[in-house]
Amino acid sequence: MPPASHGPKPVPSRQGPAGRAARQLRRLGAGGISDVGAVVVPVAVFLAAVHLYSNELLLLNMLVYAVLAQGINVIYGFTGYLPFGYVAFFGAGAYGASLSIIYLHVPALLAVVLGGLAGALLGALLTPLLRLSGAYFAIASLAAAEAVYEVVSNPSLASVTRGPYGINLVTAYNQSLSYDAAVALLGLSMLGVVILRRSRFGLALRATADDATSAEMAGVWVVRERSLAWLISAALAGLAGGVFAWAISVFYPTDVFDLTISVFAIVFALFGGVGTTWGPLVGAVVLYGIYSLVGLSDPQYFQLTYGLLIAALVLFLPGGLGSLTRGLRGHFKGAPGGAR
Amino acid sequence: MRKHKSAKLTAALAGLALTAAACGSSGASTGASSSAKAPAHITIGTLYSGSGSYATSSQPQLAGLEFWISHENAKGGAYVGAYHKRIPLKLVDYNDQSSSSTAAVQYNQLITQDKVNILVSDFGSVLTAPAVTIAEEHKVVLFDPTGTGTSFFTPGNSYIVLTSLPTSGVWPDPLVSFIEHEKISRVAIVYDSNDFDASQATTIKDGLTKAGITPVVYEAVPTSTTSYGTIISTVAAKHPQAFLELGYPTNDIPFLQNLQSSGDHFGMVFTAFPGQLHSLLESNVGEKGLAYTFSYGFPPQISSSKVSEGMTTARFVSAFGHGKASNVNFLDVAGYQAGLVIEEALAHASSLSQSALRAAVASQSGKLHTLDGSFDINSEGAQLGERLPVSQMLPANGATTTKIGIVYPASAANTAVTYPAP
Repeated sequence: MPPASHGPKPVPSRQGPAGRAARQLRRLGAGGISDVGAVVVPVAVFLAAVHLYSNELLLLNMLVYAVLAQGINVIYGFTGYLPFGYVAFFGAGAYGASLSIIYLHVPALLAVVLGGLAGALLGALLTPLLRLSGAYFAIASLAAAEAVYEVVSNPSLASVTRGPYGINLVTAYNQSLSYDAAVALLGLSMLGVVILRRSRFGLALRATADDATSAEMAGVWVVRERSLAWLISAALAGLAGGVFAWAISVFYPTDVFDLTISVFAIVFALFGGVGTTWGPLVGAVVLYGIYSLVGLSDPQYFQLTYGLLIAALVLFLPGGLGSLTRGLRGHFKGAPGGAR
Repeated sequence: MRKHKSAKLTAALAGLALTAAACGSSGASTGASSSAKAPAHITIGTLYSGSGSYATSSQPQLAGLEFWISHENAKGGAYVGAYHKRIPLKLVDYNDQSSSSTAAVQYNQLITQDKVNILVSDFGSVLTAPAVTIAEEHKVVLFDPTGTGTSFFTPGNSYIVLTSLPTSGVWPDPLVSFIEHEKISRVAIVYDSNDFDASQATTIKDGLTKAGITPVVYEAVPTSTTSYGTIISTVAAKHPQAFLELGYPTNDIPFLQNLQSSGDHFGMVFTAFPGQLHSLLESNVGEKGLAYTFSYGFPPQISSSKVSEGMTTARFVSAFGHGKASNVNFLDVAGYQAGLVIEEALAHASSLSQSALRAAVASQSGKLHTLDGSFDINSEGAQLGERLPVSQMLPANGATTTKIGIVYPASAANTAVTYPAP
């Protein structure tokens, strides 16, 4: 017999762990459950997917692009800075991880972390680019990526970076463990975006994206917050590069500094919707899924399909798939749009 | 009720896991004992470059492989010793667009999804490199027609077989001897910064140094180089007697075009691909631009007198090139040669398991003689049986075209060398 009480009815303690979990979920609210789901569901799905579809490398590439799209989300979705040269951080991470394995003989997992650090260090070096904005920033980041590529692939540095002759990590190759690391990285990137969306930091970033001057007047330290987002985004790309290098084990500078990687990550993020938690992931899964269906056997049709999709996106859905769900939610609630 | 539901869920998951396990175990390494039912066809998986830097080299290689497949299928398929019968061949090919990262996913696709019985790599070292690790991981034999990077062949990896050429590091041995023989003391070497060209450059430099010749220029340029004007002027200022440019066709063509327009002249100009893709080079550079250029000598220009398997050079030119030697290039031969090695593996393997196929290939080493020469591999799968002579493009038909003459070594030569070039 539960004790009589006034006010909200307490949950009986004899409901056990399930009851306590339900109580915690209620406390989190619908938004909280959705946020927990945003981290747990993709991780679970990708862990299961590898048992149902055996081309692990294809799934890994999808994961890597999902992480990169989330990295673009962090910098573009929250600050409005669109780095066309984003691939520089990916390449830096791939080389940071690889050279750590080759010269420092560190375990591959630690090398991936060092790859993230390499991405962040390059990000720190390129922080002055944030003084630019719009197209100038996009082009400057592209030039920076090209410069990094030229340094890494320079034959004169072959004794350090292996120059244009590429990297061979056959001794560290472990397909299943590198896949698990990629899944964990996806979880980390989803968690990062969830935290950003819920934190004062994320709010400050969005305020600077909307109007930097007003945000500064409201007490936001714009330069610091923006630089921090830039470093987080660079570190995510570096980690993705590290995992990619580990998984593919043999690669050339042209593979990890390929501008197409930037373009894909940006398109995936825009397709799903930037500034959202799920958008970049959905974009990566849908578009890379199309790639795996069409692009493997008929890349020319894939490029055509991609081109048509992007044209349709720009014309009819400039806010990405995320804007579609927001619009539908708003429609059912009777309010225009909805909160991001 | 909840228990019942969870039991159902567990059963469903177990079912899924079993399905996944079943899919996994029916991979490319599936063995087929002679007592088992013969497969309806043997699946051969390969990649080709439909576009990009390697397209001009990759497509002839694929054409050669397709020719072998159609030739075998016309006879009812390839003879599979494990089943004592001919089984039709089926080709699965993907376009990697000259991208090694795309190639990595597609090699994985061929092994894990298409479950091919035979895996053949794309042209050259760059596009073969990702396949080496993937094939080793999945324990699938990689039939490698032209990926000659020396780093692929290691004592720990038995899942690779180089079917056509020796590793690129030994290609230039006769070239070095030729330079010594002609008493050329001033040599300039410009090479592309990739494994394939760098290993040749290293061999040449080491060989020349041993002979007391220090190259006057030894310079790496990016593989993407398509403008050689400044490089040629810089080299010309050093007055070399021989200018060796080591690159891919996409480098050789602009190099020879730039050289022709530069007005500079060298006693000996060497590039790697006129001997392999003569028609392509001549159609792009012209007879004047190509005349007297040195290159390696390859089949079908070199005819092997001892052919134990497959077509002779003459028959191949007749069947593949419709009787015109200019329709056939070395990479067509390399693709066909890969087919012949596969044919021998299928004929002599005790089952279709990958280990049996690899053992069968090893058993044929030294015994197989084709239009490409002797097939002779070491324990790491690297070809030892071939040595590439030095060839020269000589004016023919009233200087309207060029023909390939083998000029060195004397044992292989079919024409006299013209040095220095007029």
